[in-house]
Amino acid sequence: MLKVENVRKAFSEVTVLDGVDLTIAPGEVVSILGSSGSGKSTLIRCINGLERLNAGRITVDDFDVSKPKELAEARKRSGTVFQLFNLYPHMSVLQNITLAPIEVLKTPRPEAEAIARKLLESVGLADRADAYPAQLSGGQRQRVGICRALAMQPRYLLLDEVTSALDPEMTAEVLAILAKLAAQGTTMLFVTHEIEFAREISDRIVFLDKGRLVVDLPTDRFFAADGGRAQPRVAQFLSRMRKD
Amino acid sequence: MHFDLSILLPHLGFLARGAELTAAACALSLVGSVVMGALVAIARTSASSTLRRIAFIYVDLFRNVPFIVQLFFFYYGLPELGIYIDAFTTGVVALSIAGGAYASDTIRAGILAIDQGIIDAAEVSGLSRRKIFTRIVLPIALRTSVRPLGSVLINMILTSSILSTITLNELTGSAQIVVSQTYRPFEVYVVLLCAYAALTYLVSLAVTLLHRHLNRDMMEAVG
Ligand SMILES: Nc1ncnc2c1ncn2[C@@H]1O[C@H](COP(=O)(O)OP(=O)(O)OP(=O)(O)O)[C@@H](O)[C@H]1O
Ligand SMILES: [Mg+2]
Repeated sequence: MLKVENVRKAFSEVTVLDGVDLTIAPGEVVSILGSSGSGKSTLIRCINGLERLNAGRITVDDFDVSKPKELAEARKRSGTVFQLFNLYPHMSVLQNITLAPIEVLKTPRPEAEAIARKLLESVGLADRADAYPAQLSGGQRQRVGICRALAMQPRYLLLDEVTSALDPEMTAEVLAILAKLAAQGTTMLFVTHEIEFAREISDRIVFLDKGRLVVDLPTDRFFAADGGRAQPRVAQFLSRMRKD
Repeated sequence: MHFDLSILLPHLGFLARGAELTAAACALSLVGSVVMGALVAIARTSASSTLRRIAFIYVDLFRNVPFIVQLFFFYYGLPELGIYIDAFTTGVVALSIAGGAYASDTIRAGILAIDQGIIDAAEVSGLSRRKIFTRIVLPIALRTSVRPLGSVLINMILTSSILSTITLNELTGSAQIVVSQTYRPFEVYVVLLCAYAALTYLVSLAVTLLHRHLNRDMMEAVG
């Protein structure tokens, strides 16, 4: 279980997350929707330990991310894919993917490389293992970003707007991979503006509004007129996204 | 007098050994400078204000004192404290410390230029702080600072001639000895001029190649 309990996060005086509760069970795909500035990225960054909580608790399989001794274990259990890829520019694709397995999980190099090559093959990049990030298109870079996260065999995959820096064609290629992962039962926490896609792959959708998690419903209920849409903020958000 | 290089022929081996000593001192000092520079760069970006201040004083001090004074301090001053080190080691230590003061600036600039997102990615993958520094931060910083570090190295080669003042027979020291034996300063110093020019030219060539190698991904992306 990934549990977010009554989490508050503020940057100096500004409260960005305000009493957020969220639980994700293994196998679930949960999408986080919300307008810009509502705290989606901050929530992801709290879960992977990049931000310190002001109050509340986040545990990944019972490992508390706020406890320095447990953070390492918590991090082994989650993998993050970033909006801007954040690949290591001085390393080849293969090195990007194998660095953490070798250094953190102590996987022997040949094994780590075999896993990496298999992952690359599954995302259609088998022939790019020796390329450097700068030599790849945005869509290819993000596919490498996904492989890098998956190589750690995380129980929970955290994705923060992983397609918003991509053009529609590249977005489609990345979404296809995520759909495949969802179908394979990968647990995902998925921040996105791709509402239609979220609707297709999610078991549940949660809605953040000014740092408060105001809706947490099964996907079909979220889009129902008497479900999530009954909330004015959600209705407003959905109709605005439609227009875009 | 007439210009005759052939009289130097018997001394070429001796001069070559001097050049070797210069090259060895500079190569070791370059490593020393990068290590010192990296440590100082870390200290200057550290959270501890004491560390930051020490680093700042170090950089300021060694950049604002003539190298020959630093060298004499280490060579003639330290023995007074009971610390005895030979001329070669003293030279390498002094050059490393002085070079480190310059290298720290370019390494620090390289570190500050790194996209925080890349460090975030390394951190969430579970890499330790030390691994993040040695595998991610330093290599990325170095690849942007190869050229400025090359200038530090070239300066070091030029400055290393001062090591002759502490009885180290590197290139300049050897040349002075040959002059005293042959009484042919003109020929000797012509050779010396050419030798330094060749040495620094080779270094800048190597720096260019290294820069190209470290940034090969971008070259190919453009080409
Ligand atoms: N490091 C920071 N320091 C100060 N304020 C921050 C910091 N990070 C985020 N914020 C603020 O917190 C709020 C929430 O930001 P966050 O990035 O979590 O929003 P988001 O929902 O991901 O938005 P978007 O859809 O634009 O990505 C914003 O008002 C933002 O300005
Ligand atoms: Mg965001």
